[in-house]
Amino acid sequence: MSSGPSRQLLSELASRPGRNSLADKLIRWMFISLSVVFLSALLISPLMMVLTSAFAKGMAVYARSFLDEDTFAAIKLTLTIALIVVPLNTVFGIAAAWAIAKFEFRGKSILITAIDLPIAVSPIISGLIYILLFGSQGWFGLWLQEHDISIIFALPGMLLATMFVTFPYVARELIPLMQQLGNDEEEAAITMGAGGLMTFIRVTLPKIRWGLVYGMILTNARAMGEFGAVSVVSGHIRGLTNTMPLHIEILYNEYDYVGAFAVASLLMALAIITLLIKTVIEWRGLRG
Amino acid sequence: MPDLLPVPTSMSITLDQITKRYQNTPVVNDVSLEVSDGEFFVLLGASGSGKSTLLRAIAGLTGVDHGRISLHGRDVTQVSPRKREVGFVFQNYALFKHMSVADNIEFALRVRGVKSAERRARRQELLRLVALEGMDDRLPTQLSGGQQQRVAVARALAHKPQVLLMDEPFGALDAKIREELRRTIREVQRELKISTILVTHDQEEAFALADRIGVMNLGRLLEVGRPEELYARPATRFVATFLGAANLLLARQTAQGIRVGATPVSTMLDKPANQRAELRREHEVVAMLRPEEISLAVERESLNSIYLGAGKVETISFTGAFERLRVRMVEADKAAVSADADAENLAILDVTRTQHEQRQLPLSVGQSVAVGVRRIHVLPTPLSSYSVYAVTSTEADALKQHPLLVDLATRMKTRITTQIEPGLGQAGTARPQQPLAGVAVIAAGADAGAQLDWLLQRGAAEVLILPGQYTPATRVLIHWTGEEVRRATLAVAASVLRHVPAEATYLNILPEEESDASKPSGMRELLDARSEAQAVHGLEMRTELHYGDAAALLQRELAEHTSGMLILGVTDPVDFRQRFDWLLQQSPGWPVLLVFRSEETSAPVRKMT
Repeated sequence: MSSGPSRQLLSELASRPGRNSLADKLIRWMFISLSVVFLSALLISPLMMVLTSAFAKGMAVYARSFLDEDTFAAIKLTLTIALIVVPLNTVFGIAAAWAIAKFEFRGKSILITAIDLPIAVSPIISGLIYILLFGSQGWFGLWLQEHDISIIFALPGMLLATMFVTFPYVARELIPLMQQLGNDEEEAAITMGAGGLMTFIRVTLPKIRWGLVYGMILTNARAMGEFGAVSVVSGHIRGLTNTMPLHIEILYNEYDYVGAFAVASLLMALAIITLLIKTVIEWRGLRG
Repeated sequence: MPDLLPVPTSMSITLDQITKRYQNTPVVNDVSLEVSDGEFFVLLGASGSGKSTLLRAIAGLTGVDHGRISLHGRDVTQVSPRKREVGFVFQNYALFKHMSVADNIEFALRVRGVKSAERRARRQELLRLVALEGMDDRLPTQLSGGQQQRVAVARALAHKPQVLLMDEPFGALDAKIREELRRTIREVQRELKISTILVTHDQEEAFALADRIGVMNLGRLLEVGRPEELYARPATRFVATFLGAANLLLARQTAQGIRVGATPVSTMLDKPANQRAELRREHEVVAMLRPEEISLAVERESLNSIYLGAGKVETISFTGAFERLRVRMVEADKAAVSADADAENLAILDVTRTQHEQRQLPLSVGQSVAVGVRRIHVLPTPLSSYSVYAVTSTEADALKQHPLLVDLATRMKTRITTQIEPGLGQAGTARPQQPLAGVAVIAAGADAGAQLDWLLQRGAAEVLILPGQYTPATRVLIHWTGEEVRRATLAVAASVLRHVPAEATYLNILPEEESDASKPSGMRELLDARSEAQAVHGLEMRTELHYGDAAALLQRELAEHTSGMLILGVTDPVDFRQRFDWLLQQSPGWPVLLVFRSEETSAPVRKMT
């Protein structure tokens, strides 16, 4: 969450005797240009590519791509999923972080490892496990069919898959934060007579708020951009179970480049907005 | 029973035998304490002494495994910290960083639903009290460390708690601010007359603030008293050296009085009344000489204090108001031997002199001086030093390395001497090469019995028998075979338990056939023993009453637990050898400390305050 070493430290490093030699300048120049080359090759040029392709046929065609009903449905679905997944995972993340930071219990290390699991597991597998569980051939498939509940190839399945891949973010952000911040303020509140809920709302939550918001932003970014896991469980039904990433792929496969890149640019804009919010929050967090 | 006694209302904080364990090791060990209304009590101890844990236990932030806590006569042992009505100040302030000073102070009032106008009035009053008027809208991060701690104090007092608890509140501050804040806290405490316990490791702080000081070490509350009392007349080595600097010397108690080395110093004797009965018995004692009570002169004649011996100035350092010197006594063994004596047993004394004294007699390193002492305090501890007795030097060396012995000697800051006695354990009347001093130490085994008899015939009073195999004792059993030795055994037990982190249990064993008739008197004996241990020796112990044969019961008790130590008071050595000979063998695996007294040495009980 930090923006690198402080200015003071850097100026101190720069003022060290011997730092102004030719070799030193060369090395500095080399490192900077290497970073810039990598960034432009891997990041900036593709982004430019997206934008140029999206606007290749002019503003009007670009705008018209969003009028398409299926595109509109995909945007709506993506936002719906994010809107449901982010709050749920926030609650889960706080609960898990609280349990890990404040209690000693059996299997704590297993819980910590389990929280990291979705990051290690391939998204395709994350999707497949839900097919195996709730698909028509799966363990609960028959029972679900009998009761006319559809999970796979429907919103519930996509929610489950998205939640699975995004649930580590809030917890991983909060656990080290809560461990580092300690328990003193909570103890002070308790000796002053505050109860558990009051202590949480008035003392703990303000303490961890920036970490929490940061975790939520990461969760949101991943929830909107997830492709693999959602792709497996969605069934790609146009206008029904297509999220923005899935819709982009379909449009692209149908040679509708402008449409595909237009939606992609929207997704990119959402990502950039998220990043901007993150930066603002970091900046505010640093100010206290 | 203590539980039935009404708690006096003038006591605001009453702790009754508080024990807290972490992984079976007691970190707070049987602590009892009473703090009266409006008293400022300082708990002093090194880090890890259990003082903070005890404070957190009073606030309810940590539970206790044993004991009772009462605040203003209300038993709060099982009450949640929310409902204890205490104010707690943390070392690192623990202010709510996102709240203004005003919101911080009003927090406890908001919790209680106090109206806004009333809250503001209270807040203003508190800010005036801690000299922070007008700071209401600042955030904690905009305040200096000293100011933050002032806010924390004001916040802790907002809900008018019954007691104020402070955990090293000056720990994170620099010296100047520390002193200022110290004054403020003392003033606030006086004005509000709130009973306060402050925890610190800084003796200067303790002296400056305390009405009474309690010194903790290894989880035990060693001594409690007014600062000047504790400084002048400490009962334990730890307190003597922890509160200020102290030279501890081994001296000899003789019928004529105290002798330090060859010098009789009995006219300077400062010995508590309860020790007078022990005067008749010649034995080694520990004498404390404060550095400022030692005077130096060019020759013996020009000393205006009791002559101690000749010395040589080793180092001189200037510390501002005082000059600190280290003076080495030049006559080996004839002079007193201190804990940090060198290989040749030459005592090194710490001396401080005022500017005035320096001008009167300027000294330089290497100079020979006559050393005198103005005041000597004899510690009432029965364990002065350890003398390892063995037939060969290999045996002696092995015994000297014994972990328990090394532990005890290091913690008591005393020495272990080696006495090779080829005649040890053999019949005859050969005199020992050196007069017996301190606790005699022998190895357990087949020869131990004969060796014990040999030592007893030559006047040994305390004998420590060490088994080859040893696991650190977490349990110390105390028992005596006759009332004559009760007092001495308790004194020895108290001294040992100040230096080992173990729990003490006194076993009172009555003969089987008396079980019904003697029940009341057995209980009374137990309680008497417990209160004597507490009052006279500052020792907290559990008590158990058993019926049966003492030897058999102890044997069973020792067999049940693998680690422990037995302190046994013995009146009749012959009877002891018949019934308890098994104790001297390797098999019980317990270290045994025997205390022999054949005549009553008890004296009127002096309450230790």
